Amino acid sequence: MSHAPVMPTEAPPRIEWPESCRAEVKEALARYPNARSAVLPVLWIAQRQWGWVSPSALRLVADTVGLPSPEVFGIATFYTMFNLKPVGRHHVQVCMTLSCSLMGADRLFRHLERKLGIGHGETTPDGRFTLRRVECLAACGGAPCLQVNFDYHENLNEAKVDALLETLK
Amino acid sequence: MSAARGPFLFADIETQGLRSIDTYRKGGGYEMVKTWIGGHKAPEECIEVVKASGLRGRGGAGFPTGLKWSFVPKESPKPRYLVCNADESEPGTFKDRELMEKNPHLLIEGMILAAYAIKANTGYIYLRGEFETIQRILDQAIAEARAAGLIGDKVGGGDFRFQLHTHLGAGAYICGEETALLSSLEGFRGQPRLKPPFPAVEGLYACPTIVNNVETLMNVPAILKNGAPWFRQWGTEKSPGTKIFSVSGPVKRPGNYEVPLGMPLSQLLNQHCGGPQDGVRIKAVIPGGSSVPLLPASMLDTGLDFEAMVAAGTLLGSGGVIVIDDRTCIVDALYNITRFYEHESCGKCTPCREGTYWMSEIFERLESGHGREKDIDLLWDVSDNIMGKSFCALGDAAAMPVLGAIKHFREEFEHHILHKRCLVNRRREEIEAFQAVTA
Amino acid sequence: MSAPVKVTVNGRTVEVPAGTLVTDAARAAEIHVPIFCSHAKLPPLGACRICVVEVGTPRLGPDRKPVLGPDGQPEIVWMPKVQTGCTTFVSDGMHVRTESPVAVKARKGVMEFLLVNHPLDCPVCDEGGECQLQDLAFAFGQDFSRMDEAKRTFESEDLGPVVKKEANRCIVCMRCVRYCDEIMGDDALTAHQRGVWTEISSFNRQPLECEQCGNCIEVCPVGALTALPYRFKARPWDLRQHITICPYCSNGCSVRLGVRGDAVLRARGTEFRGVNQEYLCVRGRFGYEFVNRGERLSTALVRSGGTLTPARFDEAVTLAATQLREIAAVHGPEAVAFLGGEKLLVEEQYLFQKLARAVVGTPHVDARTRFTARVEGAAILKATGGGRPLVSLADLTRAQEVLVLGEDLQGESPFIQAQLVRGQHHRALHMTIAHPRRVKLAWEKFRGDWLAYRPGSEQALLAGLTRAALALGDPPNPGDEARGALDGMRRSLEAWTPERIETSTGIAFARIEAAAKRLREAERKAIVFGRALTEHPAAAMLLQAVEALGWATGALEATRSSVMYAGPNNNTQGALDMGLAPDVLPGYAPASDATARQVFEPSWGGALPTARGLSAPEILKAAAEGRIKALWVVSDHWLRSAPDRALVDAALAKLELLIVSDLFLNGTGERAHVVFPAVSFAEKEGVVVNCERRLQRSVRALNPRRGARTDWEIFQAVAQAMGAKWSYRTAEDVFREIARLVPAYHGTSWGALLGGGHAWASERPLVAGPPEAFAAPSSGEVNGDALWLLSGGTLFLQGSLSYHGELLPKLAKEARARIHPEDARRLGIEDGEPIEIEGPGGTIRVASRIDGDVPAGSVFIPYAYSEVELNRLGAPAGEGMRVKARKAAMVTA
Repeated sequence: MSHAPVMPTEAPPRIEWPESCRAEVKEALARYPNARSAVLPVLWIAQRQWGWVSPSALRLVADTVGLPSPEVFGIATFYTMFNLKPVGRHHVQVCMTLSCSLMGADRLFRHLERKLGIGHGETTPDGRFTLRRVECLAACGGAPCLQVNFDYHENLNEAKVDALLETLK
Repeated sequence: MSAARGPFLFADIETQGLRSIDTYRKGGGYEMVKTWIGGHKAPEECIEVVKASGLRGRGGAGFPTGLKWSFVPKESPKPRYLVCNADESEPGTFKDRELMEKNPHLLIEGMILAAYAIKANTGYIYLRGEFETIQRILDQAIAEARAAGLIGDKVGGGDFRFQLHTHLGAGAYICGEETALLSSLEGFRGQPRLKPPFPAVEGLYACPTIVNNVETLMNVPAILKNGAPWFRQWGTEKSPGTKIFSVSGPVKRPGNYEVPLGMPLSQLLNQHCGGPQDGVRIKAVIPGGSSVPLLPASMLDTGLDFEAMVAAGTLLGSGGVIVIDDRTCIVDALYNITRFYEHESCGKCTPCREGTYWMSEIFERLESGHGREKDIDLLWDVSDNIMGKSFCALGDAAAMPVLGAIKHFREEFEHHILHKRCLVNRRREEIEAFQAVTA
Repeated sequence: MSAPVKVTVNGRTVEVPAGTLVTDAARAAEIHVPIFCSHAKLPPLGACRICVVEVGTPRLGPDRKPVLGPDGQPEIVWMPKVQTGCTTFVSDGMHVRTESPVAVKARKGVMEFLLVNHPLDCPVCDEGGECQLQDLAFAFGQDFSRMDEAKRTFESEDLGPVVKKEANRCIVCMRCVRYCDEIMGDDALTAHQRGVWTEISSFNRQPLECEQCGNCIEVCPVGALTALPYRFKARPWDLRQHITICPYCSNGCSVRLGVRGDAVLRARGTEFRGVNQEYLCVRGRFGYEFVNRGERLSTALVRSGGTLTPARFDEAVTLAATQLREIAAVHGPEAVAFLGGEKLLVEEQYLFQKLARAVVGTPHVDARTRFTARVEGAAILKATGGGRPLVSLADLTRAQEVLVLGEDLQGESPFIQAQLVRGQHHRALHMTIAHPRRVKLAWEKFRGDWLAYRPGSEQALLAGLTRAALALGDPPNPGDEARGALDGMRRSLEAWTPERIETSTGIAFARIEAAAKRLREAERKAIVFGRALTEHPAAAMLLQAVEALGWATGALEATRSSVMYAGPNNNTQGALDMGLAPDVLPGYAPASDATARQVFEPSWGGALPTARGLSAPEILKAAAEGRIKALWVVSDHWLRSAPDRALVDAALAKLELLIVSDLFLNGTGERAHVVFPAVSFAEKEGVVVNCERRLQRSVRALNPRRGARTDWEIFQAVAQAMGAKWSYRTAEDVFREIARLVPAYHGTSWGALLGGGHAWASERPLVAGPPEAFAAPSSGEVNGDALWLLSGGTLFLQGSLSYHGELLPKLAKEARARIHPEDARRLGIEDGEPIEIEGPGGTIRVASRIDGDVPAGSVFIPYAYSEVELNRLGAPAGEGMRVKARKAAMVTA
């Protein structure tokens, strides 16, 4: 996993919180005695709103919680769940850690790859699915399992996965 | 499922509608808030009862909870904080998820009482990012509790003020480490911090803070209600009480089980989980989440308590029991675990950051048939160079499983090197079969 | 203070102060414990783990006393895990083992891990030869690698024009990120991703938005961050490295120049030496380019037939000497004046004024060419405590409260700014920043108090602060003279009512009161001011006000001073010390005082002038009117620095003799009759005095440019040609004379200055007299339409020397006139559009920049851009410079 240098020279365009987010942002800031503690909740609000955290969104979050933009860039990239590029409507995250692996997760993942025609980190051309391998989801008793966005699906096999995909429009 | 699933944490966990405060209260919920806080009992007494009970942290470290609470300085003018570690990310562990999903009010009650004991007016529940649904459940329950005067200015009709918030992480196992959790909660990258100072003295925002696991906190109401001797009816002298064990792998009934500490592991597996699936023999079991060394099948009678596990050369850890069958390649399994630590290493310290990467690469070579004679000793030495040298316990967590696997299953490693393939590998066979079918 | 602590390292016992880290205690025991992430100026981190050692403490018995073993020594309980020495504080009786098998294996293990992904880039890495990783790998690493897997790789990046990042080499010690955050306050660097994929970068991988100081490069222990200007130019062992004093601002940072052959290839910090140790600002670090330029003067020039033509040095000397003698004979010595010198060495400054006073016989000598009004030579000294021991730059990081008066430290004194940022981050230093613009230190993130006073209300602000301070009672330790003046001061401040102060400054009086209270109550404090006050038309009065404020807040006390003047140039202080002001002789002795003159006359060989000397603005006027006929301008681009362009044009036209000595031929030199080629700071050796009044030796780093001379050699040559019996063989000879004749410099010598230099102080103040009472408020009319012109230094450019290079002008970009959005709207100006600024003296045209950090009703143009000739607007008067602004007329083809 080598990074191609992006190195843009222009600052990303400024964006503002849409009206629908403002109350939530305010409430998030109020939960902590220190504005910077709201950086994760506010990043989540941004991701819920736009589907991913663009450089513009990172800047907006930084201004909202009073942090320098580079620092928010560093915080957002530290965690795995902030999408640094747009993702499909259904983010299919398959657990690959030991318990799930013991119970067939690898085979399940290959099945999904074949079925969706995409690999890890990729999105279907119609924007419907993004497929990713992830680490332990704390659903080991129902291995193999996956998350679609935030919804858990456990005790899977190929047939159940196929049926699930059908329901995800 | 009408029978009780466990002695008390799981006793009524399947009660329908338990998430609603009315149902929770019908079962005696929030009584202790009225008794202890509404009844103006001394917070110090609360700490003493929990101390006497011998309750130990249920997240993995097993530190005596009452003792930890007593570390909060009595005279500090700074505000105190109670933080619930709901970052459950230890592979093989899924107990907190079920507990919170089904019985959120028990966590809230536990937190109110714990906060009262340490005189914290603000509490945060730090949830791993994937638990967003659970966050909603908890937020709903908190709202109910607030409406019922159990959170807010005069908790339980007493003089105690307490606010409780949920806080969602975003995918980082390291945030289960308490100082990394506090870093993340404060709005930094989730990297651990120097100890000392310990969080009880200087934690969140440099104020006295107690960080407790979900299950630990959920023990508190019952302990305060029934007293220390009641709690000690289960478990051993040094590991009293019950614990919820998460069992996964090829057993008949994987899932969460509340059993008294000290029960032999084999009893948990055979009696509660129905034993291995048909046609499967157990080769090894990891007793406490992927961070602890595995136990070979010969040692499965080891008691599920802190001391017995240490004596057996492993740790009780989080109680995430992962069953490894005899057609699973140990080297392959360790590759999986090592890769996990490589992905989750925060990168702060050299041994963990570089060592987990290195070990993953060696395992990949071993798995792909390019192992070399020196690799086993190399893995051992690399693990040894990480153990005790890293900034936090994640380094140890990456090293210990490797050391344990080499100790008990050296022959599998040797087989890889000598024969350039696994001794057995069901997983690989399944994939090859799949590829054969779909090619 | 806690009692010192005994620590035994490898059997060697040392006593160290309580609160010492194990790594430092080991150093005290002369045992080396390697470090990477640890840094003297950053709090302990414990990340890299290379400093792991075994630590043990005495076993305590039930009586809490150490239990003794069979050998009579305390039994040591060793901690089960090795500890990082850089995060472990010593305790009494602690034992440390750095070379035990456990410690050695741990350290070697960490060393091996560091090399797991670190590429074997040494042959192509600039750090090679001065790389800490290389050194330590050589010291105790293995000579083979057990790791032959594929390494993780990144792409290399240019993080702007200064910083080259080779992320493959990074060992994630985080020094760069922490230094940028905690000491520079820029927060430009960040670590992103995690684990082995942790990569240091900027926001969105864009060019770094920062001061481009390059300190990240300096503190990077490996070649992950290197300097682009120096990339691939040399190996450290090719370079001769010498420590000079930076030629730019008055902080006096030590700069380690790396020279190969005739060229300066790079500049670095000094790690442990000087006031700055590893720190340099962008000017200090990258501003050496001018030394190497081909267009430097390498021959004298004389005007012949209307053009400047090359001449031999002795010819030029003879010409200059002859003409000076003639003009002095015909028109009197007072028709000759000497200007400039703030950038010279102390030895040169001394000879410059000696040439003027003792050889030519004129009293007109002044280095302060930018001043807009006459200011006594000792005024600044008086305002800063008269010579009492002065707060140091190191002290600033430990201060509790610092007031910065009108100065944008980022442009004027970047190191002082860094000291304040560091103090704020690490030691709860609080800043009160008094400035009309939102300068960097006024940003919210530094949690200071920003007193945004209206331009022109400096006096009101000082009156307000002083009044509020005195209202708290007498300061605790003012000394007799000041104590006696306090009541008079209070009375003089009665006219300065809180209402008047509020109206004038635009600041709520309660905030001014709070600032004064903070200063009074702080045990460790400082007041810093600079050219914003001294180049002000009312400078004399403002300096008195600063002094009054100093006494009132306790920043000035009977025995010490915490009021610091940060002058604009590297030897501004030296120029004042050496009497480059018309009314003072070297050492601040009044030129009008016969006894003072007698100190120098025997040595200087003759009577000194007794007439009143003209100050720089007066010289300017006199030259414009033709009363001054001969002028020597040294190391100053007078055409640009003089406050009034019309006057200086007139002066240059009228002068019969203009002598210029400088490094480059600039607009001033082009009008000269004689031009002497001078050497740069890097090519000469001598003493420079910084804002702490610290004398420091600047060492010569390379041979003088062929044909150029040191300024003191030029002065001596001309003096000798005029018949003076000067016979200095070296600059050190000059310094010996200074040390002999100037009381403040008694006892110093070049040799003695080689360590950390010497901050001079005098027990009895050199300038007598109590603080003056406050001047009454004036009723200035406010021209509604006019804007205040705000100016000042800028970080990337300082004076004309910084233009002779590529990097600094590139970083500075183009000049902009910054106006507030309200004014832009009113004037119908869009961002970037050219505007015309009209002052009393003329009009200039500059591209605009809309900037909310500039107060409404003003326009800010930094002075140093070559394309903006600010002095064409005329000289400020009264409370400051008022101008009109409008959209520029279209330029017709």
